[in-house]
Amino acid sequence: MREVELFFGPQHLGMVGNFSITLNVEGDKILKATANPGFLHRGFEKLMEYRTWMQNFPLVCRINVVEPDHMEMVYAMAVEKLAGIEVPERAEWIRSIYLELARVGSHLFGLWAYSNMLGFDTVAQWAMYHRDLILDLFEELTGGRVYHIYIWPGGVRRDFPEGFTNKIVETLHSIGKCVPDYNDIFFNNPLFYERTHGIGKITREEAEKWGGVGQVLRATGKPFDIRKVEPYAAYDKVDFDIPTREEGDAYSRIMVIRDEMIESVHLIFKLIEGLPEGEVYNKVPNPFKWKIGEGESYVRVESSRGELGLYLVSDGGDKPYRVHFRTPSYSHGLTILEKVLEGANISDVGNIMISMYVVAPEIDR
Amino acid sequence: MDREQVIKALKDSGKWGHKYSLWAIYFGTGCGIIEIPPVITSRWDAERFGVIPVATPRQANLFLITGYVTLKTLRAIIRTYEQMREPKYTVGFGSCPINGGMYWDSYNTIKKLDKYIPIDGWIAGCMPRPEAIFIAVTHLWTMIDRGTADAYKKYRKQYKYYRKNQEMALGKLEWPPLYPINEDE
Amino acid sequence: MNKKNLIQQLRLTFSDIQLNEHEDGIIKIHAKKEQVKRILSYLKDNMYNHLALISCVDWIKEKEFELIYILTSYLDDKELYQETGDIYLKIRIPRGDPEIETVISVFENAEPYEREIYELFGVKFSGHPRLIPLFLERDYEVSPFRKDFDTRKYVKDVFESIPVIPEEEE
Repeated sequence: MREVELFFGPQHLGMVGNFSITLNVEGDKILKATANPGFLHRGFEKLMEYRTWMQNFPLVCRINVVEPDHMEMVYAMAVEKLAGIEVPERAEWIRSIYLELARVGSHLFGLWAYSNMLGFDTVAQWAMYHRDLILDLFEELTGGRVYHIYIWPGGVRRDFPEGFTNKIVETLHSIGKCVPDYNDIFFNNPLFYERTHGIGKITREEAEKWGGVGQVLRATGKPFDIRKVEPYAAYDKVDFDIPTREEGDAYSRIMVIRDEMIESVHLIFKLIEGLPEGEVYNKVPNPFKWKIGEGESYVRVESSRGELGLYLVSDGGDKPYRVHFRTPSYSHGLTILEKVLEGANISDVGNIMISMYVVAPEIDR
Repeated sequence: MDREQVIKALKDSGKWGHKYSLWAIYFGTGCGIIEIPPVITSRWDAERFGVIPVATPRQANLFLITGYVTLKTLRAIIRTYEQMREPKYTVGFGSCPINGGMYWDSYNTIKKLDKYIPIDGWIAGCMPRPEAIFIAVTHLWTMIDRGTADAYKKYRKQYKYYRKNQEMALGKLEWPPLYPINEDE
Repeated sequence: MNKKNLIQQLRLTFSDIQLNEHEDGIIKIHAKKEQVKRILSYLKDNMYNHLALISCVDWIKEKEFELIYILTSYLDDKELYQETGDIYLKIRIPRGDPEIETVISVFENAEPYEREIYELFGVKFSGHPRLIPLFLERDYEVSPFRKDFDTRKYVKDVFESIPVIPEEEE
């Protein structure tokens, strides 16, 4: 059989986002895969050098469109570390609640994408509906459904409105009541097991060698989570588990995501119970004339896809000198995807890519 | 349906069937792709307006360009647009195709999409809400009724200016011109 | 081995490097570009097996590029992780003809980082198997992330000079 070069391009029903892969196939089997990013490259890091420290906040959240909240958090943490600003305690707990809600919403979006691609349409509709209920909560808190701009250096922008924590609890209960239905239709379905068992298998040594983080690593049995080893916000004050699985294939990754969603919901309930009173932000100097001293810092958080880091350099002026984001989809989408796709079938490309949660705007920035 | 609506539909049944079944192509070009799944699933439900996502450009007649457009994406957009059959409609979604939006000083995004492919209407916002998409679809129905949704005709008539702009932005194009260009006109 | 032993061993094994430990536990190593691969493989064998980031900063006034390699560990125990901490390895190369050796044989996930720095800054990595552009498709006279590339002027020259489509003549 001859070798043929196929273009699994951006306009394709199995592709979520604007990303493309060039496949060299022989019959139905893939011999070589080359990832082709760059369809969404805006040069963020160059644009951020032209705007002041405060003007960068509306820009930073647009890097990852599915879950913009962890980007705001990591930028605020880096600026606070360079400038030496403290955050009040109530703001830390509010930040944790807000980030965990974002994590649940982002996992529901991933569940829509994955079940739509596999063909389980009912679960896709339910997942998108439940994510919309969480976006309603964000709209009441910040005014926008998708881009929130809520975390800034020194705390959060405004306090929770009256009765907001009760609304969070009610919404999460109404989503939690449907978990047995999700289990019956999707997670315990023997068809789902057969279609994902053994697909895209990675061992623990390979994941560490190729730079895997997040669910890709936790599905191979290693309980590595930045919220436990280097806690930030209020994560060291409450107790929670890190779910893992053993096999490292697509089935394990999706089951880890399901377990993480349930764990996040329990974590939100614990955080709401322990929420202290107090101020929600410390004032920063005049944002038009704010200069930060020389220095560099590298901070990291655990976003819904893995370790998200930011390297920030300042030269004493009112604009950043160099900004570099380390996004989790960079290693997953460019190094691991090319290696795992060798020897797979064409019909499994979408399956493998979406089970690793590769989000295209994070790669290109 | 009452008597007047039936008469109106029978008078121009082609236009009636055409308006209420605008099939949109499934291509997420930028940030705005995040508001398309809520629109096509059960909460906001675009199917009651006749809009469903389809797989290939040959089956579609509505192209929703969601968000900013980079140079590599512009190549893919032009090839997709030229494969769609006429009559076809394009809608720019978000404030980035209008005048560059938030990335007005980026070296890799194009600023006005109007210079490269013809656009029927714009939806402003960053992000626009799902209701804004439905209002845009109803505006498009009014335009089709009146006969003013003719951006595809402008593409045919002014093709040589469009092709020249596309070559200035992208360099040499790998596909031949869609309509014959008469150089001495 | 713990950090104090590690710092001593690094000073003994590699001559000609500068090493400081900061108060939050971060070790910063300043070295020459010929020693990069040996230092990285020494650190990889001593618990620092996760290459988080390779980045580049353009110090235009001093006419130098600075490459930074940030290494952490994959330990999942909190005390061990915080005791091990981060290491920043900083290399300065001249801005005129920047070139350095690739580290793919030590860390396999360094490949896209090096392609990106080649494309956006113009630094050549000798020995890289696939040094072709990753994101961009045009040629730029000055690499886009260098400090002497003015992006606003570029937009004005290139994109605003494309004319608007004229209305059709009746």
